[in-house]
Amino acid sequence: MTRVAELLLLLVILTSFLALGTARVSACIRAVALQGLLLGLLPLALYPAGGAHIWGLAVGTVLVKAVVLPRFLNWAIREAAVRREVEPRVGYPMSLLVGVAAVAAAFAISSRLPLPEQAHEMLVPAALATVMLGLFMLTTRSKAVVQVVGYLILENGVYLFGLTHVERVPFLVEVGVLLDVFVAVFIMGIVVFHINREFDSLDSSHLSALSD
Amino acid sequence: MTWSAVAAVVMLFVIAPLVPGIAAKTKARLAGRRGAPVLQLYWDLSRLWRKGAVYSRTTTWVFRVAPVALVATAGAATCLVPLDGARAILSFSGDFVAFAYLLALGRFLLVLAALDTGSSFEGMGASREVTVAAFAEPALFLAFVAVVVASGETSLSGALGAALAGAWPTAAPALAMVAVSLFLVLLAEGSRVPVDDPATHLELTMIHEVMVLDHSGQDLALVLYGSALKLSLFAALLVGVVAPRAALPPLVALPALVAGIVVAAVAIGIVESVTARLRLGRVPQFLTAASALAALGVILLLAGSGT
Amino acid sequence: MTLFFLGVVLLLLGGAAAALLPRRRAADAGFAALAGGGCAAAAAPALWALAGGTVADLRITAAVPGGDWVFGIDPLSAFFLVIVCAVGAASVLYGVPYLATERAHRSVRVAHLLTAIEIAALALVVVARSAMPFLIAWEVMAVLAYFLVVFESERVAVRRAGLIYLIGTHTGTLALIALFAYWGQLAGGLSFAALAAAAPMLPASGALVFTLGLAGFGFKAGLVPLHFWLPGAHGAAPSHVSALMSGVVIKMGIYGLLRLVTLVGPPPVWWGWLVLAVGLASGVLGVLWALAQHDLKRLLAYHSVENIGIILLGLGVGALGARYDAPVVAVLGYAGAALHTLNHALFKSLLFLGAGAVLHATGTREIDRLGGLARRMPFTWTAFLVGSVAIVGLPPLNGFVSEWVVYQALIRSADVSPARAAVFGVAGLALIGALALACFAKVCGAVFLGQPRTSAAEGGREVGYGMLGPMFVLAAACVVIGLVPLVAVAPALRVGALVGGVGTAAVNDGLAAVAPALRRITVLAFALVGSVAGGAWLMRLASRRRTQTSSETWGCGYERPSVRMQYTAASFAAPLLAAYGPSAGVQVTREHGAFHTHPLDLVLDKLVLPLWTRLRNWAISVRPIQQGRLWVYLLYLLGALVALLLYLALQLERVSW
Repeated sequence: MTRVAELLLLLVILTSFLALGTARVSACIRAVALQGLLLGLLPLALYPAGGAHIWGLAVGTVLVKAVVLPRFLNWAIREAAVRREVEPRVGYPMSLLVGVAAVAAAFAISSRLPLPEQAHEMLVPAALATVMLGLFMLTTRSKAVVQVVGYLILENGVYLFGLTHVERVPFLVEVGVLLDVFVAVFIMGIVVFHINREFDSLDSSHLSALSD
Repeated sequence: MTWSAVAAVVMLFVIAPLVPGIAAKTKARLAGRRGAPVLQLYWDLSRLWRKGAVYSRTTTWVFRVAPVALVATAGAATCLVPLDGARAILSFSGDFVAFAYLLALGRFLLVLAALDTGSSFEGMGASREVTVAAFAEPALFLAFVAVVVASGETSLSGALGAALAGAWPTAAPALAMVAVSLFLVLLAEGSRVPVDDPATHLELTMIHEVMVLDHSGQDLALVLYGSALKLSLFAALLVGVVAPRAALPPLVALPALVAGIVVAAVAIGIVESVTARLRLGRVPQFLTAASALAALGVILLLAGSGT
Repeated sequence: MTLFFLGVVLLLLGGAAAALLPRRRAADAGFAALAGGGCAAAAAPALWALAGGTVADLRITAAVPGGDWVFGIDPLSAFFLVIVCAVGAASVLYGVPYLATERAHRSVRVAHLLTAIEIAALALVVVARSAMPFLIAWEVMAVLAYFLVVFESERVAVRRAGLIYLIGTHTGTLALIALFAYWGQLAGGLSFAALAAAAPMLPASGALVFTLGLAGFGFKAGLVPLHFWLPGAHGAAPSHVSALMSGVVIKMGIYGLLRLVTLVGPPPVWWGWLVLAVGLASGVLGVLWALAQHDLKRLLAYHSVENIGIILLGLGVGALGARYDAPVVAVLGYAGAALHTLNHALFKSLLFLGAGAVLHATGTREIDRLGGLARRMPFTWTAFLVGSVAIVGLPPLNGFVSEWVVYQALIRSADVSPARAAVFGVAGLALIGALALACFAKVCGAVFLGQPRTSAAEGGREVGYGMLGPMFVLAAACVVIGLVPLVAVAPALRVGALVGGVGTAAVNDGLAAVAPALRRITVLAFALVGSVAGGAWLMRLASRRRTQTSSETWGCGYERPSVRMQYTAASFAAPLLAAYGPSAGVQVTREHGAFHTHPLDLVLDKLVLPLWTRLRNWAISVRPIQQGRLWVYLLYLLGALVALLLYLALQLERVSW
């Protein structure tokens, strides 16, 4: 099972790169949906002897992250007729290179942190890398929908961190994680909608025009 | 220098023109056509060999030497790869550097030959060719670093040998990423879709074809053969990474190599049928993605080998 | 050592001959003979030291400032002394015919005299074993280089380049003086032996010493971002001076860094990583900015920045290997740095001499005004091609060998657990090599191939043997080291062992690691040359029975091709520069019917000059203090006196309580 878990974690990192390196917004959303599916399968691979609540976590995660959220985002982009990302502040090749550096840093840092024994040795590095990649995407992209995707990747990284504790604290972590996601979705949905209606576009750099 | 190594090199020299033929045949079949025969390049080469040549008055000796240098450097690079799975004809520590730089020498002289003609089309092709190479080289070297780290050997014969076969079970995901990255580099260096379309007729959309526009007769035959040799060389390298054949006896390893190269050629044909050529400004992004994949593989291997 | 000083004296006599002998032919001949002989004499003890012999030190204890003056030749000094003498001799012999046509306008005699003294100063820097003679020779070298750079001082651009060079080099010297003052005070003496003995007492394992050393020697070496003086100075100087500066003077920075590491021991970890990162940045940015240049000599100057980056890559990974007790990595890293220094000196001076020949023949340095010179200047073209293939690092020439050694050090760092990330330097070095290939394809193609773009290029004629001779000797050296690398790698390994402070056992280990590979590289190089030559000959035989016609270049059916339709060098580099975006520093102006690209130096134009402007404006705003009226100055005096008295009063109060 560790081999399967390792493969899943690797694919999670690769889907973050997919979202980072593509210009098409629908491809971004597909990538984060795929990531949600992988994250749903992860608890089953990490704790095969888990029990009912592991299965519940898996099913819930797949439903929310791989089905509901991407549908919601697709509906948002269809309403606003968003097609492509404009050229981001950091170019695509540079984004990929920064991503690689972030992954390298994540691995280097995790090997030095004094952490207890984990379910899988790649869990913490992958979580750290996903968080960094999500943050990077959030800060360097200009379309609001793509920023939401970055936020979702960030949340996925936090979820991965939460997976290190699943065995010990049964319900608290799941509920916390899912609630977090719901809150994020609602806030982001409202914000996105309002941006669209007030400014007739989804380019969030227009928001900065409010300050002066 | 074992007989199997020499036989493998000779065999690669002989079957090199098959690779573009198989790729073209696959592409044609997938499109519902019958396509040209698989041996087409052989007929083309023999036809070109019998022809005379036209030389531009602007060109110098560089123009005549470049096709010879292309084939010579590709041939010398072939002698560095362990084609029979065990040992190459010439192998030493750090020979992957020699491999890449030998091919770069051939490319350098071919680019100079293109600029020698003083034609704007060839200058354009030369400019694009060096741009593609500048982004492909780091990806190639990262793939080499990955196999060196995975196997613990610093020469190609060691890195693609038994140690790599032992590393595959534990490091499969990383090595798979490296193999994909190598395949993308093969597409770039072999001038295939999605980097360059070998079947286009419009000069402004070409990279490699337009660079060799002015060569004719036997020079053109050498250029076409050299490109095919480079392509099959990269395919052999890919087969070496994916399926190290060190444990097999030579009589089994050589046919396995041929089978692997055929599979790679079919894969090229499938990719050419399924994807479109990239806009030229997107090629650096494509090759950076290949580098990123290989770099991720290296990170995983380094993290796995020590702390 | 007496032979060495004899050589220095001969050099100075040669300079005097150039300045004093009345007749031009005698002056030139005397200068060339004496200076050339001096270089040979000075190099002899160096070769002896590299072959394994020992050379006695020379100590001057008379009343000289700064304690005893010690001179000696150890393998590190010997290696660099060989570089100084070889490139110095080539530059001297080339400079005589090169400047012969300038006699009417400028003072050529003074230039020759200064060149001779400059080479003597460079030699003294390398053999100095005490801080005082080192700094004195360093300053003499730096200031004389300024005078040589502003040879064409009637041009504003040249004067400006000289001024920026002077600022850069003096900032570096300031750091060096601070370094030796601090260190010497700690050690209680200024000889290198005393400084080395005091090294264990340095706080934070020598952090301040290494930082000042990197700044001071880095200014001289030209690493990014301390390189801003380099393109201007090397572009403005006469070509043989540019060859001397690019080939030797900037290497003094590398010598300084290597000597620092030899004296103090393994550098701190952060310094190793810093040097590695700076080397990578210098390499990539140097070649990227070179791609954007339109001026041939500025382009070659930026390539010097790139090669310094490669040398620093070797130095950095060697430092990491030394710190983490991996002697093979340390020896290979330092040896790679030293070897690339030698090779770069050889092929860079070759390229500058070739550029000088082009400038001499056509009168222009603009790449986009040249073209078609391969037919008109075939010997210069051959030498330049050898230099280009060498600098790109392609087999079978010497650039490949030194890059191979650096690759060896980088790839072996994967075994050194804390330094594993250095392995990514391999990808960086590959990128640098590929970009260098693009740049030199552009240069060779636009300058020598195709058809002449202007009448200046059409009028180019081959230069005389006086200028071709040194070029061919340098090219031959490149070929020899490329074909038989063991000749140069063995001394480089000895230097690496000395710098890394490892014993002969490590040298033998390093040699055992690379010697079989070097033998096979020799086989590969000969096989390559043989197969290309043999193949070309076979093609000639095979094509004898085929018809060969000549015609115009195929223009895809276009009826009236013109020379201006050739691809320009700027267009050749454009896709690559566009892929890198703003970091390439290219300014594009589009007007109606015109398109200009102008290469900026990002450090000079975006950092140093705005900083300078801000400083100057602040200084101007402080000017009103100087009123020019006497009573205001008396008021200042009175105010200072009152303040002092008040301070004294307060202090006394405190003391008495």
